[in-house]
Amino acid sequence: MARTDPALRAATARMLIVAVAAGAVVLPLVASDYVIDVAISIVTFGILGLGLNIVVGYAGLLDLGYAAFFAIGAYSTALLETLLHFSFWETLPPSLAFAAVSGVIIGYPTLRLRSDYLAIVTLGFGEIVRIIANNLDITGGPNGIYGINPPVLFGFEISSPATIYGLAWVFLLIVLLFTRRLSASRLGRAWISIREDETAAEAIGVPTLRVKLLAYVMGALVGGFGGSLFAARFGAIDPTGFTYLQSITFLIVVVLGGMGSMPGVLLGAVIVGGLPEALRFLALWREFGFAIGLIVLMLVRPQGLWPARIARRVPLPEDDAGDLRFAGAEAKRGETLLEVKDLGRDFGGVRAVRGVSFTVHRGEILSIIGPNGAGKTTVFNCLTGVIRPSRGEILFRGQRLGHWAPHRVVALGLSRTFQGIRLFPNMTAHQNVLVGMDPHHRVSLVGEILGLPSARRDTREHLGTCRRLLQFVGLEEAAGRRAGDLPYGDQRRLEIARALGAKPELLLLDEPAAGMNPTEKTALMGLIRGIRDLGVTVVLIEHDMMLVMGVSDRVLVMDHGTLIAAGEPAAIQRNERVIDAYLGNDTEADETAGAEEAALWDS
Amino acid sequence: MQAFFQFTVEGLTIGGFYALVALGYTMVYGIIRLINFAHGDVFMVGAFIGWTVLVTLAGTHLPIVLALFVALATSLFFSGALGVVIDRVAYQPLLAAPRLSILITALGVSLALENGVLLIYGPGFLTYPHLLGTAGFTIGGVQISYAQTTMFVISLALMFALYLFVHRTFIGTAMRALAVDQDAARLMGIDVERIIQITFFVGSFLAAAAGMMEGLYYTQINFYMGFLLGLRAFTAAVLGGIGNIPGAMAGGLLIGLLESYGAGYISSRWTDVFVFLVLIGVLVVKPTGLFGERVVERM
Amino acid sequence: MRLNGMRGVCGLAALAVAAVLAGGPFPAPAAEPIKVGVPGPLSGPYANAGIDIVNAAKLAADQINAKGGVLGRPLEIVAEDDACDPQTAVQAAQKMIDSGVVAVAGGYCSGAALPELSTLHRRNIPYILDASTNPRLTELGYKDVFRTIGRDDEQGPFAASFIANALHAKRAAVVNDNTTYAKGLADATVAALKKLGVDVVYNNAITPGQLDYSPVLTRIASLNPDVIYFTGYFAEGGLMVKEARELHLKPVFMGGDGNNDPTLLKTAGSAANGMFITCAPLPQFLSGAKTFVDDYTKQFGHGPGPYSAYEYDAIGVLASAIERAKATTPDAINAALAETKDYPGITGDITFNAKGDRAVAVYIVVTVKNDEFAPYMQLNAAGQWVSMQ
Repeated sequence: MARTDPALRAATARMLIVAVAAGAVVLPLVASDYVIDVAISIVTFGILGLGLNIVVGYAGLLDLGYAAFFAIGAYSTALLETLLHFSFWETLPPSLAFAAVSGVIIGYPTLRLRSDYLAIVTLGFGEIVRIIANNLDITGGPNGIYGINPPVLFGFEISSPATIYGLAWVFLLIVLLFTRRLSASRLGRAWISIREDETAAEAIGVPTLRVKLLAYVMGALVGGFGGSLFAARFGAIDPTGFTYLQSITFLIVVVLGGMGSMPGVLLGAVIVGGLPEALRFLALWREFGFAIGLIVLMLVRPQGLWPARIARRVPLPEDDAGDLRFAGAEAKRGETLLEVKDLGRDFGGVRAVRGVSFTVHRGEILSIIGPNGAGKTTVFNCLTGVIRPSRGEILFRGQRLGHWAPHRVVALGLSRTFQGIRLFPNMTAHQNVLVGMDPHHRVSLVGEILGLPSARRDTREHLGTCRRLLQFVGLEEAAGRRAGDLPYGDQRRLEIARALGAKPELLLLDEPAAGMNPTEKTALMGLIRGIRDLGVTVVLIEHDMMLVMGVSDRVLVMDHGTLIAAGEPAAIQRNERVIDAYLGNDTEADETAGAEEAALWDS
Repeated sequence: MQAFFQFTVEGLTIGGFYALVALGYTMVYGIIRLINFAHGDVFMVGAFIGWTVLVTLAGTHLPIVLALFVALATSLFFSGALGVVIDRVAYQPLLAAPRLSILITALGVSLALENGVLLIYGPGFLTYPHLLGTAGFTIGGVQISYAQTTMFVISLALMFALYLFVHRTFIGTAMRALAVDQDAARLMGIDVERIIQITFFVGSFLAAAAGMMEGLYYTQINFYMGFLLGLRAFTAAVLGGIGNIPGAMAGGLLIGLLESYGAGYISSRWTDVFVFLVLIGVLVVKPTGLFGERVVERM
Repeated sequence: MRLNGMRGVCGLAALAVAAVLAGGPFPAPAAEPIKVGVPGPLSGPYANAGIDIVNAAKLAADQINAKGGVLGRPLEIVAEDDACDPQTAVQAAQKMIDSGVVAVAGGYCSGAALPELSTLHRRNIPYILDASTNPRLTELGYKDVFRTIGRDDEQGPFAASFIANALHAKRAAVVNDNTTYAKGLADATVAALKKLGVDVVYNNAITPGQLDYSPVLTRIASLNPDVIYFTGYFAEGGLMVKEARELHLKPVFMGGDGNNDPTLLKTAGSAANGMFITCAPLPQFLSGAKTFVDDYTKQFGHGPGPYSAYEYDAIGVLASAIERAKATTPDAINAALAETKDYPGITGDITFNAKGDRAVAVYIVVTVKNDEFAPYMQLNAAGQWVSMQ
């Protein structure tokens, strides 16, 4: 795709918005009621599409039961109006509250499920809500609820197509603003990070369960909002308006338009709301035509008609007040930071790690080496809570770890990088770092959405730190580039910056030099020392002996799941058991492999 | 207690249909991680093809058993081919695209099949000839018809045949290899596209078998019949652990039983709520379904 | 502007042509048609019902037009798909208004009929319901709503009376399918049964669209009712009749008027013999309607659906009202419709009461004999059950 000038694109976008706005305002003055009604439906689809887009587009969670929230909003408004004689406006807050609570109820049991299981569970919830509405007497059973009064504003009744059209637009604009602010907030970044790589997100400190739950809640809020509008528009609702097919239609709006793309979703709404109407002349062939159209559009534009773009604009402030030093670390240099006692982990019958004990002191650089399959990464995974140890104890800053979720371990000051790079490829470099930093961002979500001055100030500070982190690893120039497009070495360094974003006291680097050329390796050594100078203790797993021997204060050697040696680099190089482990005295040892390993010692 | 056994018999009868259709969902999912929403409609198309052949042959003097055989063979073959065509046209081009786009084309295919049949056969119900009698036998007061027994035995036989196919043949082994790691399978010289096509053929073949059996047993078919049954079968596949073949079989029978007990002991109008609540309960305790699924998580 | 200019040119051309042809045999210009809207589900699961309704409307219009139309103008049917969805229904109603319909007759799902009704009511356009039996639709106080079909709360007491006084049942099971229509009929029947002292041992709903209702039937049988009254539609009804026979159930099976469809007979086969159905007199049993069934079958290749006759009458009643009103304004038609008295429809004589419902809704009980529907019993003027066989 050709890259156009951002200024030009912004200008085009602005013109497009003005044109759409002008068209939307003029429409009720010139069009017939039929056209206005179709437009109201399109706006309704837009509202629901934007809400579902939070769940599906941002957080990447499949939801086939979104009509449930729509129903809950509509029924809440209808029941409060008819039973408790609330006005339409008074029903809105409780409707939204009910929708949000239902978001929690639906979200909670599904949090630990993978995407495809979510499909059926959300579908099930959607059906359950509809069936309950259909079976209960209070909801009017299959008859639904009649006689919902139209909203009244300053004594003026909103019931004609043109006035409802206006109301629908107000609702849509509120939702647009809400979702736009949300997507730019730290919650929005967290959603995209779990969509990109949930395990990595959790491991760098994103509380993935809470973030997913919030996706359902925010989606539910918007769905409920749309439902209230629906009830006001028709004055009557019944369960046939909230079927599984409705949920599917909302999903089509999002995916056809472009997941995660607000203009895309609105375009999807225009097509899903407008195309069947435009095809009315086909009579019985109408649905068939729509189906074929849907397939063809998806085949031609698999990413959606208007795919989401990565925000390349880098809102990083230039001011350079403050520095990166992690306060207070310096003073306690030398004390015990991490203590591992008799750590063990089994996979099935295989004892991948057994009886591993070691201590990490503040301010040191410690390397763990050993042949492939020695259990090094398993130790890291146990430390960071990615897997649970089968035996043993981990004490970090005096706290017992081992059964903590990874993001809580990060919050305690222990962050990591991965052996195979696990950046969020479809986010920019600076967004990657921001996700790592966000757990420390104290600004409230409400503040961010309302754009309060205090929140803006905090955000500026936050962005400043981000810029300094990128500067620190030498990636300031690449801040606005897509992480997946960066060269390999840069990706490694970006991952380090992201891990540093969590303000760790202890940083675990898993093979940071893998795939780097000698120049990059030398630079990396400097970087690792620099990290230590910031006051961060470093533990790394590495095969590159030049690097290990060059930066480490101490070296641990693992083989076959156990610790076979520990000591200063020079002592390790002379250790008989270590040499055996690497060169292999086993009968199966291969001469050439041994030679390669030996070469590693010299490099 | 007698009622309980009666409910069990009835649950297993419908469960057999769910299981056959669930197999198609699970096989396709196992291989290309797609929830094939059009699968329930392939079941429907199978029933309609079978109906067409049976009604056409009714005018001739072909013996009824032979007519049935011809209808079955035609229906299964053409439905299998339909599965392959759907895969080629709507799914293969999107295998590299975001997973949800392919889900939407699957929904599109489902809509297209339903409305295509509506345009050809009309929106009304068609009726299969009444070939199966209502005769049966009674064990301890529990009514079991011969038709029920036959349907159930055929379902089990088809499932067993599939099991043998997947575990004892080269193609079956290739399918399982694909399910574990597509790239590795390709490197080992397996023609991945071809295996995917065969999977679609086999899955659609089984769905069509279920479709024709449905027509013969319940006699009434309609362009919309695949929707609800497809939903149930999909639920069954997930309950058993989607991607897992024995899981789909067990899931199908289990959903049939749940539905039957739910309708018998609670109320038919709450059946769906009951079934979905059990499903959600199972998934909360065991997130990959009853029989689980092998997921390779790489760090 | 440009359009007007074009029209001007065309007009001049037409004048010129007329001038050239002047003096020759010149056919009378076709009168502008009177447009009548017919909404209904033409796609999705209920397309079946919608098409049967539209077909009946077209048949009625064709026959009226063959006799010279209304007020010398032909009737034109404007059919729109409402998909049984409220949102689509409003759009269908608006579309019909925009295309200039003077009245609307049709509808199928109550869920779609209500939004249509509200939209049409804003323009006072009359709406004659042919299939929605929900009492609430004519209880809204609108003066532009009528219906040719009876209400649930009239059929219910009729069915209850048959169960109690003709079948002499002591225990009854009432099953609905949780749709508006079936639930309404079930509620009305249960209330009436209780008044008549019949023990209602089961009153619950099934989920429509399933295949196997054996578990529900097994459950009902364990409660030992004398009769099972199913108030839903023929598709599920047929399956239930068939499955009840396979289970060798003893209770008499009886259905509401949603069951009087030939599909039920085909699905259930010989198992349907001996069952009962409460319904308005079926066209095939009415001498006046015999030709309707024949004409319909000839024109469309299959028999009419359960609501076709009501739609046919709706168009007929509307045509007669417009003829009497001598105008096509909504108010005039509404006034004329309200005055409809003893219109000889194929579903019986039609007189609208103040609400717009039929003043006298006639029902009979039909049975299945030799795999065919046959009239069985009706209530005479004294309220006694008399045989129709």
